[in-house]
Formats: sequence, C-alpha cells, structure tokens
Amino acid sequence: MTTLPAVREALAACHGVEVVYGRGDAAVRALGGVSLELHVRESLALLGRSGSGKTTLLHVLGGLVEPTGGSAVWHGRPLASLDRAAQGSLRAHGLAYVFQGANLLPSFTAFENVAFAAHLAAGKAAARFAPDALLELVGLAAKADHLPAELSGGEAQRVAIARALAQRPELLLCDEPTGHLDSDTGERMLDLIEALQAEFEFALVVATHDAGVAARLGRELELEDGIVVREER
Amino acid sequence: MSAASLAFVELVRAPGRTALRVLTLAAAVGLLGAMLLFIGHSLGGMTTSAVRNVPLDWQGPVGSYEAAVDVAARVARQPGVAEADPAATAPFAGIEHDSAAAGTIRSGAGSILALAPAHLARAGTLRFLRGSLRPGDVVLDQQLAATLQAQPGDTVALTPRRGARPLRLRVSGIALVTAPDELFQPLNPLLGPAPAQPPANVAILPLSTFARKIAPALPTLTAAAGASAVPGVQAGTQWQVQAQVDTATLTGSPARALRQATQIRNRVERSLPGQIVFVDNLADNLDTAAGDALYAETLYIMLAAPGGMIALGLAYLAALGTAERDRRNLALLRARGARRRDLFVLAALESIALGLVAGTIGTAVALGAVRVTGSGVGIGTGRVLATLGICVALAAIGALAARVAAGLGALAGSVTEARRSVRRSERPLWQRLYVDVAALAVAGLVYWLTVRTGFSAVVNPDSNPTLSLSVYMFLAPALLWIGAALLLLRLRGRIVAWAAARAAGGRATTSIGFLLASAGRRGAAINRGLLVLGLLLAFGVNLSIFVATYDQQARVDAQLTLGADVVVTAPPGAVAAHRLVERIGGLSSASGVSAVDHSYAYVGPDLQDTFGVDPASLLRGTSLRDSYFLGAGAHQMLDRLGSTHDGILVSKETISDYSVRVGDLLRLRVLDHATGHFHVVPFHVVGVVQEFPAAPKDSFMVTNLTYLEEVTHDPGPNLVFVRAGGDPTALARRIAAATGMYGTSVKSIREQTAQTVSSITTVSLRGISRIEEAFVLALAAATMALVVSVGLAERRQELATMAALGASLRRAAAFLWSEAALVLVASLLLAALLGWLLAEMLVAMLQHVFDPPPDHLAVPWAYLGGLGAAAVLGGLAAALLAALQIRRLPLGAILREE
Repeated sequence: MTTLPAVREALAACHGVEVVYGRGDAAVRALGGVSLELHVRESLALLGRSGSGKTTLLHVLGGLVEPTGGSAVWHGRPLASLDRAAQGSLRAHGLAYVFQGANLLPSFTAFENVAFAAHLAAGKAAARFAPDALLELVGLAAKADHLPAELSGGEAQRVAIARALAQRPELLLCDEPTGHLDSDTGERMLDLIEALQAEFEFALVVATHDAGVAARLGRELELEDGIVVREER
Repeated sequence: MSAASLAFVELVRAPGRTALRVLTLAAAVGLLGAMLLFIGHSLGGMTTSAVRNVPLDWQGPVGSYEAAVDVAARVARQPGVAEADPAATAPFAGIEHDSAAAGTIRSGAGSILALAPAHLARAGTLRFLRGSLRPGDVVLDQQLAATLQAQPGDTVALTPRRGARPLRLRVSGIALVTAPDELFQPLNPLLGPAPAQPPANVAILPLSTFARKIAPALPTLTAAAGASAVPGVQAGTQWQVQAQVDTATLTGSPARALRQATQIRNRVERSLPGQIVFVDNLADNLDTAAGDALYAETLYIMLAAPGGMIALGLAYLAALGTAERDRRNLALLRARGARRRDLFVLAALESIALGLVAGTIGTAVALGAVRVTGSGVGIGTGRVLATLGICVALAAIGALAARVAAGLGALAGSVTEARRSVRRSERPLWQRLYVDVAALAVAGLVYWLTVRTGFSAVVNPDSNPTLSLSVYMFLAPALLWIGAALLLLRLRGRIVAWAAARAAGGRATTSIGFLLASAGRRGAAINRGLLVLGLLLAFGVNLSIFVATYDQQARVDAQLTLGADVVVTAPPGAVAAHRLVERIGGLSSASGVSAVDHSYAYVGPDLQDTFGVDPASLLRGTSLRDSYFLGAGAHQMLDRLGSTHDGILVSKETISDYSVRVGDLLRLRVLDHATGHFHVVPFHVVGVVQEFPAAPKDSFMVTNLTYLEEVTHDPGPNLVFVRAGGDPTALARRIAAATGMYGTSVKSIREQTAQTVSSITTVSLRGISRIEEAFVLALAAATMALVVSVGLAERRQELATMAALGASLRRAAAFLWSEAALVLVASLLLAALLGWLLAEMLVAMLQHVFDPPPDHLAVPWAYLGGLGAAAVLGGLAAALLAALQIRRLPLGAILREE
C-alpha cells in the first residue's frame, strides 16, 4: 500500500502574470509572465533593482493592480473573479501591507491607525483586536496618541506593522520595509517582522533591493525587467 | 523645449485640470466684469436720466426784446448748443371771458409766457392739448381755460396791469405748461436755479405779439447779473434767452457730463462777454445726479467688491486642487536644472494663457448676465473691450497669484525644500500686530457710536449724500469684512476642529469616531473651505438682506413721496365740483379716501409746501407713522390739529430757524385766490412734523383744510389720497377711467416705486443685486464642489491607503463628504452671523439715507433657502462625482507615489 503525499494548497499564486502600464509607444512592461506559489507561513523575498517589477508583483498579489495577462489567485480563487468590494474585504481580513513609506493615515494617531485597520478587519459582529496590545507588541505603547508627523521613520514603520497585524493577516506584503531606515533600525525592523511571523504564523513576502535582507528569508525570487531571472530556496 | 511650449504642453496634458482652473477664474472675473459693465452702464443711465429730466437747460436774462432775439441767434450758433430762442415772462392783472352760456367769467392775476414760434418745436416745457399758437392770438393753460370756460375760437380780454386797457385776444389753443417751476423762476445767474411757485393762471403768447402789444405797458426787469428777484411775484417783463445743450455731447458719468456741460456754458458766455450769463438748470440737475452717482458707485463697490474678492479666493481653491501635482512637476523641473526664474516664467506664461481664455469666457458671462437683468442695452463696443481687457488681466493675475500661492513650496530656495511642503515657521506680521482684532474692534466702535449716539454721516438739505457720507458709512462694514476674514485665517479652523474632536470623544474606535477624529485634525483644510464658502454665503446673506431692506424702504419711501396707494391730482375746484371723493370712494377696490389741499405759504422769505387736511378723515386714505412726528404720535398730532381750528404742524427746521415753539403764533403769507395776492394770516403751532405723505423732504407745513380754505379762498382740495383694497395699479386705472374727464391725473404706488424720487431710490440695486445673487448661487454650488474635489486631490493617497487596508468605497468617500458637510454647516452658521451683522451694520450706517429709517431688516427667506440649497446640491453633486473618482483611483500608482 502506497501513501500519496499530501498536496499543499497554495495560499496565493501567480500564473504567467503580465502587467503593462500605458499604451502604444508609451507602453511599459512591468511584469512579463511571472509565476509563483506561496504557501502558508512561507517567507519569500522579491529581490531586484528599482524598476524590476517587485512592487508591481506585490500589488498584483494583493489585488491592487489587475494583471493585463495571466492571473493572480488567493486560496485557489482568481482575484479577477472578485469585485472591488470582495477584494477590499479580502484585504481587510487576510492580506495586509507594509509600505515603503509606512503610509500611515496622517489625520489619525498611531492608536487610531491601528484601530481603524482592526475596525475594518473585525466587521460588525466580530470581536476586535486590541490596538493597545498591538502597539505594545511593537514597542510603541507610549506613542499611541502621537500623529504620524510626530513619529520617526522607524516608529512609523512599526505602527504600520501593528496596523497590518490588526488585520490578522494570512499574508503580509512588505514593500521595502527598511528602505527609508538606517541599517540598525532596518535590522531591528526585520527582527521584529520575523518574530511576529513566528508568533502570528502569517506568510511573508518582502520586496527588497538588498541582498542581505533577502538572504534572511527562506526563499528568494530575483526579478529583472519584470522577468524572474533566479529562484532560490 | 521653450518655456512657452512647455507651458502649453502642461496645460494641454491635463485638460480636466486646465478646464477647472479656467472655469473658476472665468466665474470670478465674470462677476467682476458684470459689476464693471453694470456700474458703467448705470452711471451712463443716470446721466441720460438727469439730462432728460431737465425741461429747459439754460435761461439767460437780457434787457430787451431786441437783445433777446440777437443774443439767442448768436448763442444758437455756438458749438455744443442744440438750439436757443428768445422768450419772455410777465405778469398780467386779470383776464376775463364773455361766455354765451355763463356770462362774464373773470380770473385773477396770472403770468404770461411769451415764446418764439421756433420754441414750439421743443416739447419739454409745453404740451398742446388743442389748437396751436398763432401770431396775434393767445393759448390758455388748461387750468385757466377751465376757469374761464374758454375754447379755441373764443375771445378773451387780458389786462396787463391794474388800470391798463384790456387787450382782446382770440384763443387759438389750450396747452399744458409742463415745467412752470423753471419757466417762471426768478433769473439770477449768481444764485442759480430757484424754482418758484408756479402761477395759477398762465397765458401763452407769441413773442412778437407780446413785444408789440403788452410789453410796452409793463416795466422791464433788469438783466444785470445779481439782480434780486423774489420768487412768486414777478413785477415786470423778464426778457430771456432759453437754450438747450446738444445732449449728444454729454457722455459718461454725471460728474463727467457736468464738466462737459459747464465747459460748453463757459465757452458760450466767454464768446458773448457782457451780453449773457445763464441760470444753468442742466448743471444743477447734473450736480445732484453726480452726488447720487458718487453714492451709487460707493454702494455698488461696497456690495460688489467682497463678491469679487471671494470669487478670486475660489480661484485659489481651484489651484490648490492641482497644487500637489504642480509641486511634483515643478520639483522635477528644478531637479533637472531649471532655475527659479524659469519656473516663474513658466507659471507666468501658463497664467497668461489661462487668463486669455478665462477672461474671454468671463466677459461673455458678464455680458450675458447684464443682458439677462435688462441692463445691457446700449453697452458700447468700447466698454466691452475695456471690460475684456480688465477681465483678461484680472484672470491672468489671479491665475498667477493662485499658482504661486498654492505651489510656493516648489518655488522655494533649494530643490530639497521644493520637494517638501512649505511650513510657515513664523506668524505673519498682521497676526503679530493683531490687525484682525483691531479691525473688528474699530468696526464695532463705529457701529456702537452710530447706534448709541445717532452720530451719522453728513446729508445735505436735499437728502443727497456727500463724499464724507460715502467714506464714513462704509468704514464699519468694510472693517468687519477684513477683520472677519483675517480672524478666520488666524483661527485656521481650530474652532471647528475642536468641536469635531470633542464630538469624537477621545480615541476613535467607531465609524463616526474615525470620521470626527479625522475632521478634527484637518482644521486648516476645513478652514480653507470655510473661508471661501462661509464668506461667500455671508456675502450672499448680507447682500440679499440689505437689498430686501433697501427695496422695502424704497416702497415705504414711495408711499411717503406719493402720499398713498393711489393719489389723484385734480384741477382747482374739480374735487368739490365733481364730488370726486364720493365717486372714488364708491369704487369697489378703494377702501378709503381723503381729500387734501396742497398749496404754498411763506414763512418769512421761505416758500413752503402747505397741506390742508381733514384730521378726521385723513387716515382713511393714507397711513401715518409715529416716527413722522416729534413729541407725540400720529393720532395725538391729528387730534391736536383737529381741536385747534388755526392749528398748524411745522417742520423741525422751521422750529429751529425761526425760534418757534409749540403754542406760538405763526404769521404766514398765503396766496388769496380771490385777489391773486399774498396776505398775512395767523396760525398756531400745535406740533412738529418730520415726514408727511406727499410732502417734500425738507420744510413743509400741515394745517386744517377748512381753515386753509377760509383764508386762501381756495376752490377746494386738489389731491385725493386713496387706500387700495387690492391691486393699486388696477385701482388707479379704474379711478382714471372714472375721473379722467375732469382733468385728473392718477398715479399708483407701483409707478412711484419705479421712478426716481429721492436719494435712496435714485440708485436702483435691482440689476446689480440680481447679477450678484445669481453669481453667489452658482459660486456657492461651485465652492462646495471644489471643497470636495480639492479634498479628493489632497487625500488621494490617504484614500488609496484606506482601500489597501480593505476600506469600502462608501467608507472612504465618507471621509470626504463628512468634511464637506462640516464645512457647509460651519459656513452656514458663519454666514448667518456675519451676513446678518453686515446687513445690520450697513443699514445702521445708511440710516439717514433711508427716508424714513427702517424699523427692522427685511429677510428674503426664499433666496436664503435657495442659497443654502445651492451649496448643499453643489456638495452632493461633488460627493457623487468624488465617489465615482474614488472607484477609478489607480491604487497601485498612487501607493507608489512619494
């Protein structure tokens, strides 16, 4: 009697994804047939220089950019089959972002930035995540009532991570999370993300141009002019 | 690529953005252009009206018939003179008519008007009802013909002076002398025009007939300048030259026309030295019109300027919507090596292009607006081109100012600074000097002084406002505008933000809490909307309340000037002879009637209007206010008058000028119609009157009708006041139909309101207020749309981030419309307070111009409701458009932006 190996369903996947910005002579191909699969709790680094297509690929995975060719899939369902509301609901409940510039909402305090994401994720009936606890987790409980303009770059990124955690993500998409930080702060940021991944068990995709950062993650995918030129585990 | 090409490319590359800026600027300069066209046209109209209302431009006294003929011929040849004719006025002692039916009918003394045949071509002073003037014949004035029961073809005997042989003349026509005040006024060029009491009986003769048959029997009045002449009684023949100015030479505002008319007269007098000096009726009228025009200009500017300034603020708001994109573009250009000067050149070229298009559209809008309001007739090409030039220049300057102000960060010192948003580290000078607080304090002080002490602007005896009035009366409202605008700038929306934060109640965790928390921290953005929308709505509220109050007072003024809802003027004796009071009172829509005798009497040397009334029945035909009298109310005054047979109410001026007190004996000289001479009659002062229906604005008197008839032998009342039960115009038509055969003329309050009657109604605000109110409605809607669209442009990255977090379209859009709703609510509150304050202040400052002063402000609720609705609809439309735009936001691209 033979035992068939268990088939792990991909959490998210791209199949031959192409993205072209603009039209005619002004058209720019950002991605040219990228395929990948990402599984639960997996870590992936998207490595490449500026303009290689890393951010576009992150946005395709998160449903923020619709591919001009191929498809992006979430839990086996093509994102193209979902309307904007369903895509929004998906982002609110399982798919979180940490942007390069943190992108905190400027008219909300650190607490409210986290609370707003928790509010979106919780819906009407579900219990809410405690924003205070999340800020405590990222070491910013003391600055809960500060506005983004009153925070340093590293602090803003930590609030962005707490905000992402408030969405209880299955997948965390980080776009150059250390891009605006000095090397020490950047290191501490990565340590924090890894620790939180271990705690909350989300899959992680980090877009970076830094080979050192990429090396810390389990898997690397190198992009050049929108094409995967190297994949390494 | 040259700067010009780059500017062009920038404008074409974003057509929507360019269209928004063009339309906003066009609306702003369109309002200003409409104001300019309207004011220019209105002032021109005032000149035309002033010139048209002068029946006889110049009257120059000369010493003889020959001199009159000779000088008239010379004057007629002068440039700028349309025509000049010799003429004469003279008294006659009596006139009688042997009627086959009624026997010999005699009339008392009267006046002769002798005219050259050429004069008859002019219709300004005389209107023939029947027949014409023929050599050797006489034409009788309508009243004299009625008295004598004479018809064309009859013969009358005219006695030039007492004891002289009567002269038999055939009646060749009956005419209406339409300007007896001017025709028979004493001619003293040094004193100027002094309209006199018109003679009761007028006979018109051909000048040559008069010179040949009557003048030799009468003394000739001296022609020397400065000769004294007592109004009302003419002792001999006054030879004169009457001239009309060519009106085509009088253009522009009344002040300009006055200068032109004076220059023409001076030139004529200089070219005929020692031969003629004129009494200038035209200049007198233009001078009054120039005073009114000055008042009108100031009033127009006061009402229009804030609107124009706010409209330009709107252009700034529109520029803010594209400021972020502009900042990035300019920062990019600087990073590529463009110097700051290059960026200014680029901005200037862009602004000129925008100014050309927006200025042209604005001018077209302005022309359309003034045509719609009926003020566009006669606007010449020159004025249109001048307006176009001004609109283009204003639009270009506005575009440049808005661009520079909104994109200041990109034009800063270094490229690095250019990449940042600008942050002001130091408060501007006006904030450190508390200019806003000072302006509000001075405005309040001036207002308090006015209300508390009654201190007011200078008004001359004819109620014409003077320059000092204009400057003073607008000081407080102008300072209130400036102070309020600056205070809003200083507060930066802190009050609204504080209110929103309080409502949010600490840390936000609910949907409403997030909306309020966000709004509470966007005070500056809310304030920007509040500043433009709040001030715009305040402008609309102020304008509409002021204009409604102005209209209300114009109606009150019209009733006061006319006398009643409908007033019937009848020839002497007609009211009693034909029982007109009963006839009119019998008409169904006449709810009350009262007869009044309007005559004149001398108080010392002053000729004053005198009204003989029946105190018991006066209030049936008209209304009196307590404020018309000093020392007692209207009913008490009428009671006092009714209980004192020879009682008289005199004006405040008479009380002070002649040191008279209530109860004193007052001797007046009144005309005895039996003898044709003035004689002294005793009256007793029973009270002081300030205003009275149909009375002039200055001095007049009110007495008992029965006593007045006794002492003047007057044939009875000549006015009938009628209170209308329904439409006054329809009632006036019915009365005219019922009494027209007795020589009556009937006027309703509607006609009176439409006419220029006094200082307050001289200036019509109807046109300018319609234009402004329409613009305010459109701009209110546009402002709300801009508030939402600027919010969207500013917060697109924030909204994209919300979408990335999973916020629905509705939830994200709520942040925009809730902010717009806060702006709207705060603006409505500000507008209600500031608009009401401004209107209250403006009316208080103009209290002495309103005649009588208003008891309360008139509030046009329908317009105010429309104004609020326009703002709400504009906001709703913009919110819907914003929702659609949010749906189409390129999330990926926006989130990549730094």
